[in-house]
Amino acid sequence: MAIDKVTTASITDANITTAKLAYDAIPFRNIIINGDMSIAQRGTSTASITGDGYYTVDRFSLDLDTLGTWTQSQSTDVPTGQGFAKSLKMDCTTADGSPAAGDKLIFEQAIEGQNLQYLKKGTSSAESLTLSFWVKSNKTGTYTLELLDNDNSRSFSQTYTVSSADTWEKKTITYTGDTTGAFGNDNGNSLQCNFWLGAGSNFTSGTLQTSWGSKTAANRVSSSQVNLADNTSNEWYITGIQLEAGTSASDFEFLPFDVNLQRCQRYFYIHANTNADEIGIGGYYSSSQIFCDFQFPISMRTTPSVYITTGTNYFRIFRNGAIDSFNSLTFGAGNVNMFGLYNNTEVSGTAGHAGFVRPENSSAVIGADAEL
Amino acid sequence: MINTVTKNYYLGEFKSYQVTYVNSNIEKSVPLDEANTDYQAIQQWISEGNTVIDNGE
Repeated sequence: MAIDKVTTASITDANITTAKLAYDAIPFRNIIINGDMSIAQRGTSTASITGDGYYTVDRFSLDLDTLGTWTQSQSTDVPTGQGFAKSLKMDCTTADGSPAAGDKLIFEQAIEGQNLQYLKKGTSSAESLTLSFWVKSNKTGTYTLELLDNDNSRSFSQTYTVSSADTWEKKTITYTGDTTGAFGNDNGNSLQCNFWLGAGSNFTSGTLQTSWGSKTAANRVSSSQVNLADNTSNEWYITGIQLEAGTSASDFEFLPFDVNLQRCQRYFYIHANTNADEIGIGGYYSSSQIFCDFQFPISMRTTPSVYITTGTNYFRIFRNGAIDSFNSLTFGAGNVNMFGLYNNTEVSGTAGHAGFVRPENSSAVIGADAEL
Repeated sequence: MINTVTKNYYLGEFKSYQVTYVNSNIEKSVPLDEANTDYQAIQQWISEGNTVIDNGE
């Protein structure tokens, strides 16, 4: 076709697709943070998991109520040729083949409402959402994937099938837009993406809610839901999770490592984790109280908790040619940008002396936690 | 799962909670911030009938 024949009229809008463009037309289209499982600030493996919490890869948590014991790890087992370097692995180490009614195991990510306003939820223009991901498990069968609107107590569940054992499979699920219930425009947990891995009858005994509606416990999970906890040989891997506006899945949006890390650090940040690290400048406020400040690399979601391992002489302050050791640091003041920490139970020195505060034990960890 | 919760005092004021967890070597020092989910979990834990340790200053 001659150049002068290429006009708006000769190329229809429908034929201009994202796949045909030479660049990602919609940057930061993935609502999920760390969907490629590349960031794991807390560590790469945690064993003996029996309850809720964040364990390895950033931004993903477990909602676990008495349904087996697990090792969670960041794995290098990934789908071939897709560009992923890491996946998340759940490994059952103590089985529970007969879940009680209220038992559950959910792998989930919570999302701030202020990141979701462009979805126009609760209006007649509400956007559909498409979730895509790669999954692999020895345990074939039906799994439930739920979107949960925490602001309005609404949910929408669909299922996917692991068809072939021990084989990476890509799954794509589209959720129609919800014209009821707007997301709060704030830093709260508005939307959860819930990968159900097991559930008791409290969640499976009704009819699966396959469109947006008021959350009803019995309708949240398929009655055919796999119980991944029923055998210690069970494993479940996932990576490449992408949730985006629209009715089709685009290629996974890979972000530079530093960008991905910064996005995670809004919610969780490890400041020092070995005895060679620095914590910050401190000093003796009085003869029995030291203080120490440190800043976060980016503003956090809300004033974070101090995340710390404590033990005998885990920390120390170098001051005036001497070293004073102590066990812990405590939140005294802070905001989304920095901590003011103190210890007033294990130190003795001279008021006015300044110093460097450092970990003293290789197991010492200190960070900031503002997770959802 | 929360094991214990203790009030922390800083320069004479109640400023944070110290939280220990069952089967974990991680502790948290939790600011009095309603948007902090650890703070929310403590309030839930209290509402379930558990008691915060208060040793004073």
